[in-house]
Amino acid sequence: MSAAEAAVLPGSFLAGGHTLREWLITRDHKRIAILYGLGITFFFFLGGAAATLIRLNLITPEGALLQAATYNKAFTFHGVVMVWFFLIPSIPTTLGNFLLPLMIGARDVAFPRLNLLSWYLYIGGGVFAVAALLAGGVDTGWTFYAPFSTMFSNSHVFLVVIAVFVSGFSTILTGLNFIVTIHCLRAPGMSWFRLPLFVWAMYAVSLVMVLATPVLAMTLALIGLERGLGVGIFDPALGGDPLLFQHLFWFYSHPAVYIMILPAMGVASEIISCFARRRVFGYRFMTYSMLAIAVIGFLVWGHHMFVAGQSMYATLVFSLLSFVVAVPSAIKVFNWTATLRKGEISFESPMLYALGFVGLFMLGGLTGLMLAAPALDMPLHDTYFVIAHFHYVMVGGSVMAYLGGIHYWWPKLTGRRYPESWARFAAILMFFGFNLTFFPQYLLGYEGMPRRYHAYAPQFQVLNVLSSGGASILAVSYLLPIAYLLWSLRYGRAAGDNPWQARGLEWQTTSPPPTENFRRPPRVREVYDYAEPAP
Amino acid sequence: MSAAPALLEEQFDDPVQQREAATLGMWVFLATEILFFGVLFASYTVCRVLYPQGFAAASRRTDMLLGTLETAVLLTSSALVALALRAIKLDERRSAVLLLAGTAALGASFLIMHGFEYYSEYTEHLVPGVDFLQHGPQAHAVELFFCLYYFITGFHSLHVLIGVAIMTVLSARTAGGSFGPQRYTTCELAALYWHLVDIVWIFVYPLIYLVGRAA
Amino acid sequence: MSARAPHVVPLRRLLWVLAALLALLAASAGSALLRLGPWNTVLNLGISVTKTLLVMAVFMHETEARALTRLVSALGFIWLGMLVALTLLDELTRAATPAPW
Repeated sequence: MSAAEAAVLPGSFLAGGHTLREWLITRDHKRIAILYGLGITFFFFLGGAAATLIRLNLITPEGALLQAATYNKAFTFHGVVMVWFFLIPSIPTTLGNFLLPLMIGARDVAFPRLNLLSWYLYIGGGVFAVAALLAGGVDTGWTFYAPFSTMFSNSHVFLVVIAVFVSGFSTILTGLNFIVTIHCLRAPGMSWFRLPLFVWAMYAVSLVMVLATPVLAMTLALIGLERGLGVGIFDPALGGDPLLFQHLFWFYSHPAVYIMILPAMGVASEIISCFARRRVFGYRFMTYSMLAIAVIGFLVWGHHMFVAGQSMYATLVFSLLSFVVAVPSAIKVFNWTATLRKGEISFESPMLYALGFVGLFMLGGLTGLMLAAPALDMPLHDTYFVIAHFHYVMVGGSVMAYLGGIHYWWPKLTGRRYPESWARFAAILMFFGFNLTFFPQYLLGYEGMPRRYHAYAPQFQVLNVLSSGGASILAVSYLLPIAYLLWSLRYGRAAGDNPWQARGLEWQTTSPPPTENFRRPPRVREVYDYAEPAP
Repeated sequence: MSAAPALLEEQFDDPVQQREAATLGMWVFLATEILFFGVLFASYTVCRVLYPQGFAAASRRTDMLLGTLETAVLLTSSALVALALRAIKLDERRSAVLLLAGTAALGASFLIMHGFEYYSEYTEHLVPGVDFLQHGPQAHAVELFFCLYYFITGFHSLHVLIGVAIMTVLSARTAGGSFGPQRYTTCELAALYWHLVDIVWIFVYPLIYLVGRAA
Repeated sequence: MSARAPHVVPLRRLLWVLAALLALLAASAGSALLRLGPWNTVLNLGISVTKTLLVMAVFMHETEARALTRLVSALGFIWLGMLVALTLLDELTRAATPAPW
């Protein structure tokens, strides 16, 4: 079919129901995924704008671009938006919403109306976040530590706290929906160990969402109450413990980072098995390791508090557990690598993103282990080493996997193919730009440059300039996909049902799928059966 | 004549699957509520471990009689809603309507009693951030206790209020014939919610009202 | 769809459980007035746990029947336990480091 003939496939979920109103009251998980995709993209660029200000400011040691107070607001906004309005929702609400019912052979998620409500809560929270920005911003850092956030900050803490509180319920409801969907709506024959690893990833991430986010909600409510009343349980003047806030906050926020990485791991498994034409090595260990990460990830939060005044004994326990949690992640890296062995590897753009993910995630994870050792954390805490570590896992890891997933399932979602050479170029450019941006930050941290400072000692300038230069390349590599993916919507070649010759139930229906997902019941087979011909 | 079976939503294959999904969903939600309130219980535990005498002194300032009555009221309301659900399944519509209304009424009386508690605490200058005047070596710990007291009972009362509204609506809908032996999942889910609210209070009661009473 | 009569909890059981709950309430209130030292708290929390188990097992039983839902409710409490335990591990084991001056 030529591009001209490949207009929106009649009978697909994109046909019919064109009006804005019909989109805004949809219960179709695939449309809700697109609605989320629009929000996610908007917030990504909003958070990216804050990052641009940061990197521009850090070109000179005096930090001439922004005043200190404004700089504080820039990194706070960057963190808040990127964590809660981009990373945490990204893969689960877009790819997860779109794919989960398809992959298990269901017609929709268990609670479609709740799913739509989740989107409205996300947007509602986002409105408060933008309101906070327009009102003048917040300067507490995305971590809202008491007593600064409760008693001394003169910025719009309340608005941001409401933003995150509301969007937190979006997360909780999404997790709830996914758990029930996976338990109750699997097609006949789709047993647990025939589920694609992406589904297992959605399950594991949903457990974390559901168990961690309520703690954040109440903790932020306590911040709001203490700020409003002028008194509360974190107030040292009353004998309250500011560290109690940190315990409550990090009990959520450490598992939150696993909310950000588990879906990425799921995406990577799907892409790597497809482009190596092989079953994922050690499938069961991959499932157990995701569950292990989800559970053990709740027991390590004190590693954020090694220098905060936490007791030595707690520090030792949290450090040990932090080493333990690295084991299942390492197993996954070994298994992805082993999947490649004796595979028929091809380097389509999704594969480039997935391989980039594995390498960068590994580097980020190894530096996490370094930080988990208290002796190393003492000099490295609150330096750029930490910033580099988490950007390696969150950006080099999660964002690359997210983009890989977007590219891999774009044909299924839209029925179009994007220009592959542009996509490969963007992926390689991203890998290069990312490393140029963030590798110097490891060195900066090692040499002692503190984080959250708008100015720095002159000897750090060269590395900062390299990092900012890298950031500009990274920015281009993020804009390119926007351009060619949008281009493909109108001019892209028709995709066909299974352009990658992949396995998985989503490839057994049309591209895009019909509203009810499957016109004929899909054939459930063993997972990743690349040795057999495609059904 | 009993109510017609619930409409089968498109994503489900059969009513059993629909009901199981709804129930599992509700239990997952209850687990989130345990963690939501749990933050307050965890904070209470930390503060009490740090200031045992202060918390005992503060607890003695709460109204044990009202607190005990409130607990009895909530426990009874849990029984009433369980009885109501039983009545719906037995197609005893009238009993169900009265039992659900009774649950709502008991919930409302809980809130009223709690209102009296708040009022008397206000007159005794025990409201941190609004009107708090206490003296003595334990004053700070007492203030911490009362911060937690208002936070915990405030969030709990909000949940009770929502529950009262839900029970009232369900009572009216039962009277209108919406529920019966083939259609009671909504009531079942609402009952689960109500029981959770009761369970939270079961723990709140000794922690707030019964500390240091013997001294 | 065949109209199967739903499973119903016996009336007696519900009423006995209510009686037990109120008795336990009286026990906790009464024992609080006795000077038992740390055992007051242990007893009261034990009574709370018992009441909770009664409510969950009997009042919520219909829907608790699936092993999965029992697991879900257990997870909520276990996770709360983890939060409290590890936070207390820190709060209780801090060594006061007085300022050197």
